[in-house]
Amino acid sequence: MNPLALLQNALLVGAALFALGLVGILARRNLIVMFLSAELMLQGVSVSLVGWSRFHGDWGGHVLVIFVLTVAACEAAVALVLVLQAFARTGRLDAAAWQTLREDTLSRSVDRELPAVDIVPPVFPRLTPAGVLPAADEDDLLQREHV
Amino acid sequence: MIVAALPWISPGLLSPGLLLAAAVTAAAASLWLLLPRGAENRLARWLGLALGAVALAGLVATGRRLGGLGEDAVFLVVSLVAVISGAATVVSRSPVYAAIWFALALAGVAGVLLVLGAQFLGVATIVVYAGAILVMFLFVLMLAQPSGMAPYDRVSNEPLLSAVAGAVLLGLLSLFVGRLSAETPACCRVPSRGAALTTTSGQAAAPLPAADAAATTADPLAENHVARLGGELFGRHLLAVEAAGVLLLVALIGSIAIVSRHGDPSGELTAAGRSR
Repeated sequence: MNPLALLQNALLVGAALFALGLVGILARRNLIVMFLSAELMLQGVSVSLVGWSRFHGDWGGHVLVIFVLTVAACEAAVALVLVLQAFARTGRLDAAAWQTLREDTLSRSVDRELPAVDIVPPVFPRLTPAGVLPAADEDDLLQREHV
Repeated sequence: MIVAALPWISPGLLSPGLLLAAAVTAAAASLWLLLPRGAENRLARWLGLALGAVALAGLVATGRRLGGLGEDAVFLVVSLVAVISGAATVVSRSPVYAAIWFALALAGVAGVLLVLGAQFLGVATIVVYAGAILVMFLFVLMLAQPSGMAPYDRVSNEPLLSAVAGAVLLGLLSLFVGRLSAETPACCRVPSRGAALTTTSGQAAAPLPAADAAATTADPLAENHVARLGGELFGRHLLAVEAAGVLLLVALIGSIAIVSRHGDPSGELTAAGRSR
């Protein structure tokens, strides 16, 4: 692959990841899935930066991606603590649970009634008992030589 | 009708703009069909998967037209893994599945970084993201996930508008990528490393010995990748490294301060929230 084609393909992959993360942030309502989408956008940016770095043959993109990783770690720590506190206050991981913080001019979002889903409980395999339970010696159990 | 549709199907005859527009439209429709919208419809899901395959094929065809995509089979495979698992992350109903799909997307991204010659970053993505950040997400999910399928996981905010916005962004970025050319305009030419050294220090830098010159070469593909990346990071960007350390410390203290409940009434609110 010539360098320009490699750069263009890397930028295409980065753009696709970034757009997917944008869709996730805009559409999903679970706070944790929203943060996962933000991380997906960061991944797209990282791919683009490394593509440019490869094209220009310098270290700028690599160094920038290292700092993106650092900031993503900090952001994830603080954001997840905030999500936990939000869950402790409302009992939900729902972004719409905090819509009292909206502007006065915006109307309240109301959930429509959802059709019920039948959640099938998982079926776990039953283990066949192997042999008989050996009779335990009481003295043996009480006086062990070693633990 | 079928004869009229043939030029649209054969990729050689389709113009790049039409190809990209078709791929982007299919991506928008696919995302709209796959996003949770309340009622589960099996037909809509299959249709969304089919349209997603069409959109991916269109994007791959666009990449091939730009040149090269498909010459390097590894790049094609890892980028498809990254994009498909990214889409699955976004549309998964269960946040646990979303986190696991995100881990697979990270593996794909690490593969892309390795193909691009960023060995350290590929491994660091796996270690830092999949090993630390994703595990933290899963811990929070275990602490905070209500049992069963929550109603807010089964609906989306404006799924149609979101899918269209993402697809339009993808189309615009792809148009920009298609118009890149190899030559740099004169305004934006980056001065070479040696020139930068002489100008910043005000006087001509001492000529480097041959071994040092080889060690400080700015080509990421040369030997001793990690050593030279470390040299760049701790030489030219030392101040930024210090700032990043301070940032990590601040985030650590800040998250502890947020989560500890001394002196605020969130303790009782916690109990109220759990019992609800």
